[in-house]
Amino acid sequence: MHQGIAFRTAYLLSGSAADAEEAAQDGFVKAYRALGRFRRGAPLRPWLLRIVANEARNRRRSALRRERLALRVAVEDRPGDAVPSPEAALLAGEQRELLLAAVERLPEDQRGTVVCRYFLELSEEETANVLRIRRGTVKSRLARGLERLRTEIGEEGP
Amino acid sequence: MSELELRLLALGHELDVPVAPDLAPAVRARLEERPGRPFPWRRAAALALAVLVVAVGVAFAVPQARTAVLRWFHLGGVSVERVESLPPGVERTKAVGLGRPMTRMQAEQLLGFRLALPPLEGNPTVYVLDGSLATVIVRAYGRPILLSQFRSPQVEALKKLAVDKTTIEPVQVDGRPGLWLEGGPHTLTYLSRDLSFRQRTVLIHGNVLVWVREGVTLRLEGKLTRAQALSIGRRI
Repeated sequence: MHQGIAFRTAYLLSGSAADAEEAAQDGFVKAYRALGRFRRGAPLRPWLLRIVANEARNRRRSALRRERLALRVAVEDRPGDAVPSPEAALLAGEQRELLLAAVERLPEDQRGTVVCRYFLELSEEETANVLRIRRGTVKSRLARGLERLRTEIGEEGP
Repeated sequence: MSELELRLLALGHELDVPVAPDLAPAVRARLEERPGRPFPWRRAAALALAVLVVAVGVAFAVPQARTAVLRWFHLGGVSVERVESLPPGVERTKAVGLGRPMTRMQAEQLLGFRLALPPLEGNPTVYVLDGSLATVIVRAYGRPILLSQFRSPQVEALKKLAVDKTTIEPVQVDGRPGLWLEGGPHTLTYLSRDLSFRQRTVLIHGNVLVWVREGVTLRLEGKLTRAQALSIGRRI
């Protein structure tokens, strides 16, 4: 479970499986070595993910200089999934691709915040912890990011 | 939550994220690295994994996980499990329940490995439990200290349960990874060598240092500070 969330975080932030594996590995090693400095009683998940996220974002910055990376929507048939969930029904193929492409084009700070909050489903507080920013900054980045996404995909505001 | 936010949440479920690879072997190998020194013990020591140390902390952050097991720490043949309350245990005086007394030579023949001991005067009595766990009582800093050791098996042979009052932290003993357990009572559960589940649970009130060396798990138990325990550990 822990490996799963660490790898997923690294993958969604870096956009590359190879970079994600390295980032998650580095994250665990660094977290182990820093355990002595971990404040007892503090929540561990954001602390661990913060280290992993930092590694992943560093790798993404390097990779972006070489090539544009992009996440993909899974399009394979899912056995036993003949009836789409209400959430999945909301996102018919093309719309999903458009939305994902728009997320990919967000400025880096907004993209990271959107990924943490919605793709990783972290709370605002956890997002702030993982990205080492204030909760208010999470809110403002999300607001700006959502506004930009609406413009890109041609959707009306909330 | 707006419709766009709901769509983003749904999109997160639909993303093509590769299956997470098993990170444990690589992380373990990197933690075992000791720059400039060979690793003759590397394969033998079933060193556990920081992935678990840290990661079970992730489980700890999940509210439903709090009700039972909170955290696991694995090292060599020992696992440490953090629980909310301890099972009933038997209070133990130092020499009772340690096993059959014998000479060092007899113990080494029975155990099949050479005991690691600090410099001692005379011939110490070695207590052997279930043919696998050897314990010697040594005196240090004016008080009796238990030094136990056993060959690290493929599966855990000692299990410790600790409540939240117990501090558990990773340490280095002469460059080798270990765990330091301090404060609060914790229990120690033994499994016999044939893993036939002959458990006995004793309550321990002292502090404990556990580390792995050349395939043998060592543990010091007593009213020691961390610095004192590490100092003894380095002399063994």
